[in-house]
Parts: sequence; structure tokens; C-alpha cells
Amino acid sequence: MTRRLAVVLAVLGLALTGCFSGSGGGDPADGRLRVGLSFPPTSGLSPYGNEATLATRLGVTEPLVVLEGGTPTPALATAWAQVAPTQWRFTVRPGVTFHDGTPLTPDAVVGSLTRAAAATPTPRALASLAGTGPALTARVDGPDGVVVTTPAPDPVLPQRLASPELVILAPGAYADPTRPSPVRAGTGPFVLTRVDGSTGAALDANPTSWRGPVAAPGIDARFLADGVARANGLRAGELDVAEAIPVSQVAAIAPPQQVVGVPLPRSVAVYLDQRSPVFADPGVRAAARTAIGTVDVAGTIYEGRADAAAGLFGPATPWAGAPGARPPHPVTPPTPPAGQRIRLATYSDRAELPEIAAADADALRRAGFTVDVTVLESSAFEARLGTGAFDAVIISRSQQLDTGDPVGYLASDFSCAGSYNQARYCDPATDARLATGAATSDVEARRRAALEVESRVLGADAVVPHVTERARVGVGAGVTGVAEDPNEQFLITGSTRR
Amino acid sequence: MTAARRLLPWVSTGLAVVLLTVVIAALPWLWDTDPAATVLRTRYPERGVDPATLDALRAELDLPTNPVGGALGWLGGVVTGDLGTSWVSRGPVAPGVLAAIGVSLTLAVAAAVVAAVAALGLLAPGAARAARRGTGDAGRGSALVASVLGAVPEIALGAVLVAVVAVAWGLLPSTGFSGPVHLVLPALALGLPAGGLLARMLSSATESALAEPWVRTWRSWGTRPATIALGVARRAVATAVPQIALLVVGLLGSAVAVEELFGVPGVGSTALDAVLAQDLPVAQAAVMLLVLLGLGLGGVGVLVHRALLGPARSGGELPAGVPLPGGGARSWAPWVAAGVLAAVVVAGLPRDPSAVVEGRRLAPPSWSVPLGADALGRDLWARVAHGALLTVGTAVAVTATCLVVGLLVGVGARSTRAGAADVLNALPPVVVGLVVAAIAGPGLLGAAIAVAAVGWVPLAVHARTLAAEARASGYVRAAVLAGASPARIARRHVLPAVVGPVTRHGLARVPHAALGIAALSFLGLGAAPDSPEWGAVLADSLAYVERAPWTIIAPATGLVLLAVVVALVRETRTSS
Repeated sequence: MTRRLAVVLAVLGLALTGCFSGSGGGDPADGRLRVGLSFPPTSGLSPYGNEATLATRLGVTEPLVVLEGGTPTPALATAWAQVAPTQWRFTVRPGVTFHDGTPLTPDAVVGSLTRAAAATPTPRALASLAGTGPALTARVDGPDGVVVTTPAPDPVLPQRLASPELVILAPGAYADPTRPSPVRAGTGPFVLTRVDGSTGAALDANPTSWRGPVAAPGIDARFLADGVARANGLRAGELDVAEAIPVSQVAAIAPPQQVVGVPLPRSVAVYLDQRSPVFADPGVRAAARTAIGTVDVAGTIYEGRADAAAGLFGPATPWAGAPGARPPHPVTPPTPPAGQRIRLATYSDRAELPEIAAADADALRRAGFTVDVTVLESSAFEARLGTGAFDAVIISRSQQLDTGDPVGYLASDFSCAGSYNQARYCDPATDARLATGAATSDVEARRRAALEVESRVLGADAVVPHVTERARVGVGAGVTGVAEDPNEQFLITGSTRR
Repeated sequence: MTAARRLLPWVSTGLAVVLLTVVIAALPWLWDTDPAATVLRTRYPERGVDPATLDALRAELDLPTNPVGGALGWLGGVVTGDLGTSWVSRGPVAPGVLAAIGVSLTLAVAAAVVAAVAALGLLAPGAARAARRGTGDAGRGSALVASVLGAVPEIALGAVLVAVVAVAWGLLPSTGFSGPVHLVLPALALGLPAGGLLARMLSSATESALAEPWVRTWRSWGTRPATIALGVARRAVATAVPQIALLVVGLLGSAVAVEELFGVPGVGSTALDAVLAQDLPVAQAAVMLLVLLGLGLGGVGVLVHRALLGPARSGGELPAGVPLPGGGARSWAPWVAAGVLAAVVVAGLPRDPSAVVEGRRLAPPSWSVPLGADALGRDLWARVAHGALLTVGTAVAVTATCLVVGLLVGVGARSTRAGAADVLNALPPVVVGLVVAAIAGPGLLGAAIAVAAVGWVPLAVHARTLAAEARASGYVRAAVLAGASPARIARRHVLPAVVGPVTRHGLARVPHAALGIAALSFLGLGAAPDSPEWGAVLADSLAYVERAPWTIIAPATGLVLLAVVVALVRETRTSS
């Protein structure tokens, strides 16, 4: 009996001291930044996929160019020019070394771009270029240049190459070509030394960063999927920077901690399915738009921490809000609804969306509709999108995922063949306007085309925008230098310190 | 014959693993979705899906063309020690899943220790008093406390613990899992409600142990009360051990919400994410390892139970089946709770539960909204009242089903060996929910089926434990010698000794059924998202626990009152 008890106690003791995961929080006095990021990586921060942005946000990897206000600016490339309709030449920055000590050369750039273009699936930024062959080919041109050739003329290639998936890594990073590892292979201000599965990562300052001295000695990053957990970590002083603080938690964060709001090119809107039996009628769509328009989403659910939408484009794209920039659109008079049944759906990953769904449902019911609300986990939700399972969906949608180019975004969301056309909106005249916009390399002309298309889809009541979102970055006491990047590509930089 | 019988459990375990692997491999077909599309969406959210990309991905992942082929291919790899390659990360499955199981095992054992200590603390005073005085009453007051504790939602308790202990006092870390200090808060959040349930279950074991003749004999000999209490505790703990083993196994895969709140990289979240992303190799590995671990731990529980009962069990010397003495002090608390609950519900019914009032977001209790308003300005009193019937009705129906199935399986079980119950218990409930949703479709019924599918297991194991004790008692042996048929023995001798304690245990789980249904709501299972079902109301309010405690107090109080009312059923039954 006693021996059995001893065995039981030993097993208990072993289990209790046994399995822990990840590194400790670190000594708060050593100046290392403790960062809470919002989604756990599965592939060791591989550049091929969604977690590519984790590596750029932590200052590990860098692309050839960086977007500022939608305009490409130099990063690992110092200059670029279109040398032929399908060819761009990039000048590689001299004097840059990778974290493993090897120099950044045109060869390394060609290697990274060629491998990315051949990856399965094709990186999102290049997807629209990929036809039957590779999306691009790259070759070394002279001692400091790289020429990139696309299958068709591409006026926005530099914008595409700003994608976090097209970062330049040291040749040693490609030991496993399906998932390159940025560990000691980037060029940024921080050297990724270790990734602990999907729980955390450790980084040290890069002593030879081409951008100059790095303020913080290192980063201890943690991946916390739960927004409340990130807010708690910030409030308890366990995190110095926490991204994507949920609106529900912002009010609980008091000075010296604060939440920085950065306008994002991301709209939250209701998409009315043009082919659903109910919303095929423009008058009924107008009635739904009128009803939904009464809900003050920005003021109540977002508590003023998002911007009420004038259209799809918001404060992150200031050119859209310039006086007279938006062409006026016709307003369809509403047909009073007579109890039609609407299936309204959204997903649960963003805590605000289910609340918006409940508020919209209430407004629609008051207007005379019968509403069934569905809230699903996002992958289950996306699987049912475009199948006609719902009459209206509430989606938070980024407008700059691919290229930072408004025409590309509108083409995927509102053209007949668009890959993310949730309203199932199809108008040949709109497609034609998108085609002329996409063909020009003049930024102003592309923006004009975007605003015209926006006014067409708003006039058709294909989409009813609620708000444009802001990034809510939680910043701890005394922390400075956190990047306020509307593209959500950068967060910790060489000047971030505490 | 004996060799065949010895092989049987291994064969059935193997079959169970193969079957589960096939079911998981069949999920894409059940859902009628394309795993390549889901994997693509997981890697690249908001990308959209085009056929060329899908074809390339399908070719690269080498997706199986049918579920059986996929399952057998994966199992073939397992035989050679290869758990496969993840479709999402393209890395090997084994390291991540094994680490997650280690983390979850650590947390589950810690929570079980908390639960055992809490249950002991709840029962010890009453048991000691009873040992001294010689009544069979182990303390009604502590039973009430246990009921209330058992009805507290783990995730709400966790949110409060983080807000107070970690954020306000700064005593313990709020998130992470890199050392024993990180274990305290999640273990408390998971362990305290489980301790309440355990105490409810044990109070019947203690009472029947106290009523056994040997206690009277010992007392008449002048044995010290402490020694008697120890003897009673050993009898009661014998019944509890299989339940604690069950608790550990159950917590391995079911603590998803608590894992996320505390940033614990456990296997429950791993399995859920894998199933949602249709990363089938990871899901299959997680489920298979959980089931094997569950069977192992369930077996250990049974062995310890036998060891604690000692030679008395095999000799047919257990004095089980002593009827509980009637009477005793009637408790007034359940009646008060029932009255309060009924009054609140009736008075709240005329109020509007769905009107969104913009100026009333998170309004504190006032004359116009006596219980406060939720994040959309909806009247919480109206929501609690309108949700009462739906919540209580579903929870009671689920519990009744679990009780009947649990009794039938538990009493009918031929051996105390681990079986199908242990396999089901080891499965993460959300994974079961996803499978049920795939087959039965979304909705409240699907959620109820999913919760019932795993909810009967603790009751069956409890019944199995008690039945084993009853079968080991002298009079059942006498019945066997007299030539009674096994069915008659089960009906006339075993069932009466089992039904009371198991019913009491089942009733204590009624609030849990409501919480279990709510936990599936984000999968599109359960009541409609804007319905006033209490679990849904609670889930909506968790983010506001600190800013607007009333949003969580209203539904949580409803659940606690329900737990107290349920205690009433048991009181009136034993005292009549």
C-alpha cells in the first residue's frame, strides 16, 4: 500500500514538474522587448504563407521595397526602373550582410525571388501574374542589379515585391525548399535565433544592421491567439507591445499603458448576395441598406475606435477622402420589406463581428425582415462563402493584402471573375472600368478608377460599409518607437526601446 | 479461451483507434469540403480560391482519394513510428503533438490535484462530525457549497482569477506556460469546479460508507473518530479514484477555452485547430494519442480502485447496498433558490430580450434595467428570463439521457476494465461536436447530441465502480449461489445500490450540460448566436467580465440557482 502510494506520488510529481513549453518571460531589467503577437505560427515563420508577416513585424526579414502610403520606397533595393514593358531592373543595396554573415548579393536576390515564384501555392502577391508558367523570372544584371521579367506587362511590380512573402533570405535558409527558415537568415534589425513551435520566439539585436544601431538588445516574442490574453499580459506588465487588442479590452487599459490606433485599409461591411432570391431585387437591397445604416457601429460596438465608413476606402487611404474625389452615385429607393427571410452570417474570430451581426439583425427585423443569424469559425465560414448558403455576410476585409493596389483589391472582390466576390456582383461595365484601371501605371489614374468602381458597387447596394478599422496596438509603460504601419507589415523596428 | 479473452481488450482498442482514424479521415467527405481549399485558407486567409492553385496544392499534399485509404495510409506510417507530416505546416507531426500532450497532461494532473484537495476540504468537516456522532449525514451544507462550486463556469472563473490575481495584484503571471508558476491559475480555474462535482459525487460514497455496519462496530469498540474517518475516507476515495483518472483524461482534450485564455499550448487547442484547418494528420495523431493515453489512465484508475478495496473485493466481503437512512434536516436553500429563479423568470418574461439600444451599451444595473445591459444594450433580465426555459429544458434533457445511458452501460458492464467509455472520454468534446455537426447538421439539437455523446461517460464509470462494489458484496454472492440470473442480479441487487448516488451525481452535472452546449456555439452548434440561451449570453459576456461584471453575473447566477434547485430534487428524494 505504502509502496503503491509512493509510486502514485512519484508519477504526480513527475507530471507536475514535467512538461513546460517555451522560454521564460526574461528579466524585465535587461531591456529586451516582450512582444505579444496575435496568431501562432505553424511553419517556423516561413515566408510562404500568412506567417510571413510575423517575421517582418518582428524586424527579421525585409523585402526589396517597402510601401509608404501606397508608394514603394527603397529597402533592400535602392532604386528600380521599368526597362521594358515586362521587365523591371532593381539595384541591390550594397554593404548589407545576412544574419549568418553572408553578403546580400544579386545572386541571393535572384535565388529568393525565383524560389518564391515557384512555391506552392504561388505567393498571394504574385498569384494574379501566374498563368501557365512561373509568375516571374529573375536574373542577375551586372554587379549590383537584378532584372525581373513578368509574363505580361505589370505596372505595379515594385508594389508586389513589397510583400512579406517576397523577402530576401540568405541562401542557407532554403535547406527545406517548401518552408524556408528565417532563423539567422534575414537582414533586419533583429536576428531570429530560435522559434519555440507555436508558442514563442527569441531574437537578438543585429549588430550590423544596415539601418544603423538597434536600440533594444533583443526580443522575446510570444504568440497568443486570445485577444483578452494579450490585453491581460500587457496590463500585468508581462508584455511591452501587444498587437490587436480587442475593442472590449481597450477601455481597461489605463496609462502608463496605452493603445495606439492606426487607421487601416480594412473595411467591415455587409455584402448583399446579388443572386440570392431576396436580394436579387434592388429595392429590397435598398431597404436592407437603409435599415443597416441606422446602426452606429463605430460609435457603439467599436466605442469610437474605428472610423465610420463613407465608402469602402477610409482614412488609411486619404486620397479617397479628398473633397470631390468620390463621384456621386445613384440611390435606389427602398421597397418596404414584407417579412422576407434573410440568412445573415459572419465569423467569430474577430470579436466585434458577432456583435455587429446581432445589431444588424435587430435593425433588419425592425425594418420588416425575418432574420436568421449564423456565426461560424472562420474556415467553416469561408468554406460556405459564395455557395449561396447566406443572403448577407459581414466581413472584415483588407484592401492591401496583395499589392497595396486599390484596383487589384476591387478586381478580386467585385469583378465577375473575382476570386473573393462575396456579393456575387457582376456588371460588365464595372469589369471594363477595372480593366482600364489595371492597365495604367499612373497612380492617380488607378485611384480614380478605384473610386469610380467603388461608387458603382455602392450604388448597386452590393456592399454596405460599416466602418474602416484601426490597428489597436497595446504599448507598455515607457515603450517608444513602435511602428505605426497601416499595412501591418512592421511593428518592432531598430528604434523600438523601453 | 483465456488467451482470447486476454487479447480482447487489445483488439477492441485497436479497432477503436482504426475506426476513429477513419472517421477523422472522412471529415472532408462528411462536410463536403475540399481539404486543399481549407488548408489554403488556413495558410492564406482572405485569399480566395482558384482552381489552378488548388490543383497544385492537391498534388503537393498528395491528398487521399477516399477516407479509408487515407486512414490506412496514415496508420501504416504509425506502425513504422511515423505520425505523418502536417498538411498546413509541412513539418513532421510528432514533435508538436507530443509536446502539446505533455503540456496538457501536466495541466490536467495539476487540476486534478486541485479538484481532489477541494473535494476533500468540502467533505472532511462533515465526515469527521459524522464519524464522531455516528449519523449517516455527511453534511448537507457542504453538499450545497459543492453544487454551487460545480456550477461555476471554468472560463468565467479563469477570467476572474486573471483579472484579480494576475492583473490587479500582480502575484502570478497571466499567460504563458514556461514554469510551475504558470500552472497555478489555470489549474485552479479547471480544478475548483471539478472539485465541486467530485465532492457531490463523493458525498454519497461517504454517506453510504458511514452507514456500513463496520463503522458501528468500530465505534462500539471505542475506536478513535480520526481512525474511523480515515477508514471511511479510504472507502470513499476508492470510489473516487476512477473518477479522478477520468477527470485527468477528460481535461486533456477539453480545456480549450481555458488553454486559450492562459496562453497554454495544450493538445485540446491543437486538435481543434487541426480539425478546423482539416490538417488531418495532426488531428489523427492528437486523437489517437489522447485515446491511448485515456485508456491507459482509465486502466490505472481501475487498478488503484481494486488496490484500495483490497482483498475484501475478491472475497465478496463488501457490505454494500445499505439503504440510506431517511429524514435528517431539510434544507431550505433549494426552495429559496427555486422561488427566486421562478420569480425572476416570470417577472422578466414581459420584457424585450432582443431590442438593441445604442445608448445602453454595458449599462450597469438601474431602475430601467435592474440586472444591467449587455454589450448591445439589451436588457439582461429579459434575456435571462427568456433563455431560462430553453437552457433548463435542454440541459435537463441532455442530463436525463446521459443518466439513463450511463446507468445502463455502467450496470451492464461485465468487467471494470477500460472500454468504449474511456475512448469517448478521451476525445476532445469540440472534436466530437464537429463530427456530430458534420453528420447531424448545426443547431441546438446537434449540440445537445454532442454533449450527451460524451456526457454519459463519467456517470457510466461511476455506475461501473459502484456496481463492481455491489457485486463484491456478500448478499450478491448469496444470490449467485442461489442461482439468480445475471439480469436479475443486475436489476434487483446492483441497480438499487447504484441508482441513487449516480442520479445525484448526474443532477450535479445539469449546469455543465448548459455550459457544454454553449462551448460549441462558436462552431455554429448550439442555440442561434442572438438567442438568449444562458450559455450563449455567458459566452458573449466573457470579454466584459472586468468592465461590466453584471453581464456575467446574471447568467452565471442563473446557472448556480439551477444547481441549487437541482440539489432540491435529491433532498426531497432521500428524505421522503
